[in-house]
Amino acid sequence: MREFFISIKRTPFQSAASFLVLFFSLFLTLFLLFSLAFSEGLLSYLETRPQITAYFEPKTNENEIFKIRDELNSSGKILSIKYINQKQAFEIYKKMNKDNPLLLEMVSAEILPPSLEIYAKKPIFLPEIAEYLKKQPSVEEVQFQKDILDRLLNLTSILRKIALGFFIYLFLMTTAVLITVTHFKTALKKDEIELLALLGASSFYIRKPFLKESFFMALFASIFSFSLALLTLFYFQPFLNSYFQGISSLVLNIFNFSLTVWPINWVFLAVIFSLSSFFGIFVSLFSTFLATKKYL
Amino acid sequence: MITFENVTKKFPLGNIALENISFSIEDNEFIFLVGPSGAGKTTILKLILKEINPSEGSILIDDLDITSKKFFNILSLRQNLGVVFQDFKIIYEKNVLENVAMSLLVLEKYSLPQIKEKVREALVIVGLKDKEKFFPIQLSAGELQRVAIARAIVGERKIILADEPTGNLDPKTTWEIMKIFKKIEGKKTIIFATHNADIVNSFQKRVLILKDGKLIKDLRKGKYQL
Repeated sequence: MREFFISIKRTPFQSAASFLVLFFSLFLTLFLLFSLAFSEGLLSYLETRPQITAYFEPKTNENEIFKIRDELNSSGKILSIKYINQKQAFEIYKKMNKDNPLLLEMVSAEILPPSLEIYAKKPIFLPEIAEYLKKQPSVEEVQFQKDILDRLLNLTSILRKIALGFFIYLFLMTTAVLITVTHFKTALKKDEIELLALLGASSFYIRKPFLKESFFMALFASIFSFSLALLTLFYFQPFLNSYFQGISSLVLNIFNFSLTVWPINWVFLAVIFSLSSFFGIFVSLFSTFLATKKYL
Repeated sequence: MITFENVTKKFPLGNIALENISFSIEDNEFIFLVGPSGAGKTTILKLILKEINPSEGSILIDDLDITSKKFFNILSLRQNLGVVFQDFKIIYEKNVLENVAMSLLVLEKYSLPQIKEKVREALVIVGLKDKEKFFPIQLSAGELQRVAIARAIVGERKIILADEPTGNLDPKTTWEIMKIFKKIEGKKTIIFATHNADIVNSFQKRVLILKDGKLIKDLRKGKYQL
């Protein structure tokens, strides 16, 4: 650490340039990581919602509904169907409006429609299933979420591509700036590096102080950028609360690992911090390695 | 033991720095390399340091052919060599103790207290024991060269390569520096490249005389003659 602070003292402008470029890149990286996490979480959330909901006339006979359910099941295009009777619908309604007694007083189970919540095996089957349901005389309304899902899927895919492009750009920009700055630093120590080589120092021994410095620089930059991102996130918390109103949680599924991204929690923040720190440290060490190669 | 066998060094533009040179240097021997500028003195030192490779011939150090394509252990080779330059090559951000300690730190085998002890022993030999905390800017040219010698002799470096170490010094300081070499004579192999006839004549050691890249004389207890 002593060497790190001495180096900053001796080359304050080069050190400031390294720190600022790392700070800027990591702050943008964090912004992208948060955006990706929320959009992917929202996508997963919507994918778990019923893809088609068919509402029946309140007085429809259950056998008629079961007949339609069985016909759909036998089509081979259905992943699962859940029947919600009037009592269950009323329970759901009560849960959703527990804070509004006036609405609860006005509604009873008899006036709520029974429904079928349908999940198709493939999104391509959804229009066909919706069309079939619309033709049934007892079906009052068909809610079809394909458009919303498709739009979100499209948006997430675009966001993923933009994020990837942006990451590559940030990586190249940061690497180029850090290589240039480290070149300045190594040029200032050219005599010492050449002398160490003549004394029989290994390449790693000569690189070690530069690598140590870049490691600490990246670590400090990631701590500062994460702190700023955290403050920004907490500042916008009321907006996020209203945006995700009614959504109890957003979960990201990566391989066999489930990560809750909403409500914001410490595990999620720790993962984001680790990812951005890893990115910062990797870029910093990689650039230093390339920059010091010149004299070794 | 250092052995040069028919060594030739040609540079890419065609100029020949050394031509078919052969000689051997025994362990702990003190030899002078003399000759006019461009005779090939520094090239011999650079070849031993493996900063450059010969175009032809081979160089053996302790029976190890350092010019062989199978030789990769440059670090181990250089860790046995101490180098003293005409321009001192002192690091101005480090104090005397830190400059000398560099030579031991690169070996990565000594603890800090061991390094300090060995550095202080070397500083006693070169007469700088009270100046270990001085920075180079506070030292005279002669003292800077003493620091460089301490850096070359500290630890177990067996071969000292001195490339005109008194070239930038006045006559009085030159003799003070030569006294240090006299002190370490017989304990390490010393290859001393110089123009200074007085030094060579007073030491009465083996002299290799070079001219235009050729070894023209190898004199035991020789004198400077061109």
